[in-house]
Amino acid sequence: MTPRPTLVATAIAAALLAPAPWVASDFALSLMLSCLMYVGLAVSWAMFSGATNYLSLATAAFFGIGAYVTAWGHGTLPYALAVALGGLAATIFATAVGAAVLHLRGAYFAVLTFGLGELVRHAITYAEKTWAKTVGRVITEPPAPEVVYLTVLALAMLAVATAAAVRASRFGLALAGIGSDEERARTLGVNTRATKIAGFALAAFFAGALGAAVAVRWTYIEPASVFNPFIGFQTVLIAMVGGAHTLIGPIASAVVFSVLTEVLRLQFPYAYLITLGALLILLVLYLPGGIASVFERWKWARSHA
Amino acid sequence: MPEALLSARAITVRFGGLVACDGVDLEVHPGELVGLIGPNGAGKTTFFHALSGVIAPDAGRLVVGGADLTGRAAHVFARHGVARTFQTPRVFRDMSALDNVRFGLEFAGRRRVHAHDAFDDPRAILGFLGLGEAAAVPAGALTPARQRLLEIGMALAARPRVLLLDEVAAGLTHTELEASAALIRRVRDQLGVAVVWIEHAVRVLMDHVERVAVLHQGRKIADGDPRAVSRDPAVIEAYLGEEGEPERLAA
Repeated sequence: MTPRPTLVATAIAAALLAPAPWVASDFALSLMLSCLMYVGLAVSWAMFSGATNYLSLATAAFFGIGAYVTAWGHGTLPYALAVALGGLAATIFATAVGAAVLHLRGAYFAVLTFGLGELVRHAITYAEKTWAKTVGRVITEPPAPEVVYLTVLALAMLAVATAAAVRASRFGLALAGIGSDEERARTLGVNTRATKIAGFALAAFFAGALGAAVAVRWTYIEPASVFNPFIGFQTVLIAMVGGAHTLIGPIASAVVFSVLTEVLRLQFPYAYLITLGALLILLVLYLPGGIASVFERWKWARSHA
Repeated sequence: MPEALLSARAITVRFGGLVACDGVDLEVHPGELVGLIGPNGAGKTTFFHALSGVIAPDAGRLVVGGADLTGRAAHVFARHGVARTFQTPRVFRDMSALDNVRFGLEFAGRRRVHAHDAFDDPRAILGFLGLGEAAAVPAGALTPARQRLLEIGMALAARPRVLLLDEVAAGLTHTELEASAALIRRVRDQLGVAVVWIEHAVRVLMDHVERVAVLHQGRKIADGDPRAVSRDPAVIEAYLGEEGEPERLAA
């Protein structure tokens, strides 16, 4: 299994998507930005959680940490540096937290990682009130829209390339072994603890960097909006509906979801969440393996015809 | 006698108030084929968990190839050449049979050279086990008997120095059982790997091993030549407590 075809496809996609800010309408560009953001979030989430079956709800926490690096650095840190530092801050946070909670499995792990987002949100709210005497921060000079778009595009493509490389590597094999039978993987020589922490931290980098990159689009940054649990849930849903054990599933699903959300919101401003929820239930009921399982079944049928 | 490859001293494992293993000693030398028997609940599998680092013993010492591994994690035991199978086959169900075998080579066996270098190729291992044509099949789709074989392949790929086999023959017919026993001998003879073999079908096991250790209620009550052990009054007594077992023991 070589990652090369995927890497070539990623490079072609990046080249085709790069000119969008100069040809697409404002509406289309903002829709594409949202697609790319969720591609990056869902692919990096699936890289760890899809492989290991550790259901992480910490995406919102990592995303928010990245956003706050942008907020605090605004005016002093160059945009590119803020994005890199946002990813780095989330990675360091994930390493520390991962070391503490990655021995838990199933619901305990999920609930704890969810609580993490809330914890960081309240800690930042408190710190801002106490020391900075503020409840939120204003982004006065956001970078040009094309800079933001190209940064998010680069991050999303980097996430896809990284996920493809991981899947083809020893590290990816170890993560898949942990997802299948963690104790068995250990008896075959995998240091499961170190592997899990590394995978969790690597996934956190992308969520943090994307949070830092996208935060400049909001003029006003406050804990309630950047630590929005909806971002975390949406990421998990996209990856699972797409098929978290695959690479193409979360990508396809991120695009479908972002477009669907936007279209439904315009067509049925009051009923769009209800419609989205109903669609989700149908997908989970009738396509538990995700959208990717349709491709898999089709491929299987062709090879066995 | 050469120095022991695997040395377990006074291994004690407690589950709450229950003492599953009570001061068990076992020495395994390079290239030895040792049987481990005992009535149900004697502590055989628990002892294996301790030998492979899956459970840290409450007391005792574990030395593998001269390195004291007491209390270390299972992956450290694996990297020192302790490989094992489980009573109910534990294969990576969604991975191909080939990837299942590759796993051991990539991790536990990565930094060790194997005496038998043909086994550096996962396909050679599958071929040795008669699973050659199943390489691309997801492990979960194999029959239970073949999953058992695949588990042995996963353990062999870890480039083991000592192989712990937990009930290879469970649920097999008599012919299959003899074939498995022959396979275990081949592993030992061709690869020079030391093997510790737990089996419920005592009679077949006794025919193939040079040495047998008997556990009863967590204690080791005998260890030695199979013929001598099967005449040992303490062993007969232990098995008489279980219906149906004396006939199986009679060689």
